[in-house]
Amino acid sequence: MSDVTGDLPQHAVERLKGLRDTSRHGGIFTSDFSVNEFLMVGEAGFEPLGLVVGSCIYHTGIQYAGWAKNQEMSVLSQAMYEARELAMSRMEQEAQSLSADGVVGVRLEVKRMDWDKDILEFLAVGTAIAHSKGHPGFKGPAGKPFTSDLSGQDFWMLLQSGYRPLALVMGSCVYHVAHQSMMQSLGNLGRNVEMPLFTQAMYDARELAMERMQQEAQESGAEGVVAVQLHEGSHNWQPHVIEFFAIGTAVKPIEDAAVIPERLVPQIVIPVND
Amino acid sequence: MSLFGRFGKGPQDDATTDARRAEWEQALSHGSLPGFVKTRLAETMSCKRPWVSTASPAGLLAQRSHGIRPLGLVSGNCWFHYGYSWTRGHYEGWHTAIDRLRLEAALMGANAVVDITMQTKRMAGAGNEDHMDYAVLGTAVRMDALPESTNPALATVSALEFARLLESGIVPVGVAIGAHFNWFVATGYAAGMAPSYWNQELSGLSTFLTQVRRQALQELRDDGVRLGTGVLAHTQHSELYRIEPDENNPYPRFLARHIALGTAVIHDTRSRKPFGVRPVLNVRDTALLAATDNTKEVL
Repeated sequence: MSDVTGDLPQHAVERLKGLRDTSRHGGIFTSDFSVNEFLMVGEAGFEPLGLVVGSCIYHTGIQYAGWAKNQEMSVLSQAMYEARELAMSRMEQEAQSLSADGVVGVRLEVKRMDWDKDILEFLAVGTAIAHSKGHPGFKGPAGKPFTSDLSGQDFWMLLQSGYRPLALVMGSCVYHVAHQSMMQSLGNLGRNVEMPLFTQAMYDARELAMERMQQEAQESGAEGVVAVQLHEGSHNWQPHVIEFFAIGTAVKPIEDAAVIPERLVPQIVIPVND
Repeated sequence: MSLFGRFGKGPQDDATTDARRAEWEQALSHGSLPGFVKTRLAETMSCKRPWVSTASPAGLLAQRSHGIRPLGLVSGNCWFHYGYSWTRGHYEGWHTAIDRLRLEAALMGANAVVDITMQTKRMAGAGNEDHMDYAVLGTAVRMDALPESTNPALATVSALEFARLLESGIVPVGVAIGAHFNWFVATGYAAGMAPSYWNQELSGLSTFLTQVRRQALQELRDDGVRLGTGVLAHTQHSELYRIEPDENNPYPRFLARHIALGTAVIHDTRSRKPFGVRPVLNVRDTALLAATDNTKEVL
């Protein structure tokens, strides 16, 4: 485990060593798992090693968009992507120092700093886990730990359905929606019409975010992406600037027949009390 | 950080931006999609790019056991300005967005779209009250239980629930919309204008509101008739406003709106199979569930 600790500060290395060394002798692990998650991760044949975190405080650059123009704010898109990526890779580095097979339950959060609207904090936190019998077939792309925002239950479920997680993949697009000219606005008065500029902006921004996420999944060698969420928001930017953010877990079929769990036949349950 | 190359050269890269914008404009005004979107859909269909699904792993498992193959995300939206009619605006806005989603799904070779979520967005600021965006997003799938079709079945339910409906002989086919609004001029006592000290129904107003609601539901039914044999309306919304008299209107006026959306289904009550109910005790209590709930505040 010492070969990958290069960039981590001494105290982090010591914390991680403590987690890993003692975990097999009635020692201690840390995790934000719920009881159910903890049990299901165990059921899946894995054990938690420790909470791993990465954060990144980022100052976003300034970019001006044409008033009447639909266009991607590529400086902001890059900022939102790079900062998340930095936080994620720092978390991954911690997981790697633990010789973890992967990180589940990853939460990716964005916080705005009070004192400056251009400064954002990105936080990635999750629980590093390892296969209890040291099975080598669960690592992510390039032999690094896999990452996933799936809960412990979902992780178990994913393995049951014959897939393993590879990486948390994401795509971001910050977009400036054109303002309508006064003439256009007057022309619309009293009419029921589509506003094509606005439609196009939303369409294009969404398309870019989804395409980038899919591209990232492809690069990680995934067969598919599960539990995809598409978020749309604006981080206190001016009203015409929006972000589309797509995130999901890239997955791959389990190659090794020896670890493919018995296939479950799901039973559909209809709650009758709601 | 491999993605950086793909961001282009930033704001200077106007030629690409302009070309892309022109393609969108051309495509959307002709009821089509830009070439780059078509490429993505085609490559996803032929497995050159990874499939994409909004389903959880549990959904994925059930999808496999029920012969449902996820293809990719499909979406559509329409930013609509409702100048003279809110009702028509809602109707046309949603329908245009849904038509666009259907087009993407058909191009992906899907015979169904599940888990369709509907979202509206308004632009912040004054003067932006009379227009909004209607957006739909769903997962295009290939379902073995459904025939090949160039006109995919649409459902607001998840793939799991879709499979559950199919098992009971019910086929979701599309999204039905009913919306209605009307004005009511309160000329007197009936609308509660006169002060009174006893209990009484504002019968004029209640008749009016009932009529608006019934008309919206009638429209939901009419829309549903074109699609299938029933509508599971899971979203309903109504509003009632009072507008004070002005120089052109000596009496107060009331505006009522009602909108209902749902999944249209085809079913035959004669072929309905009873599936038997087996009581199951769920040990997941609410407090525990809340703790497990991995709500991600990604943004």
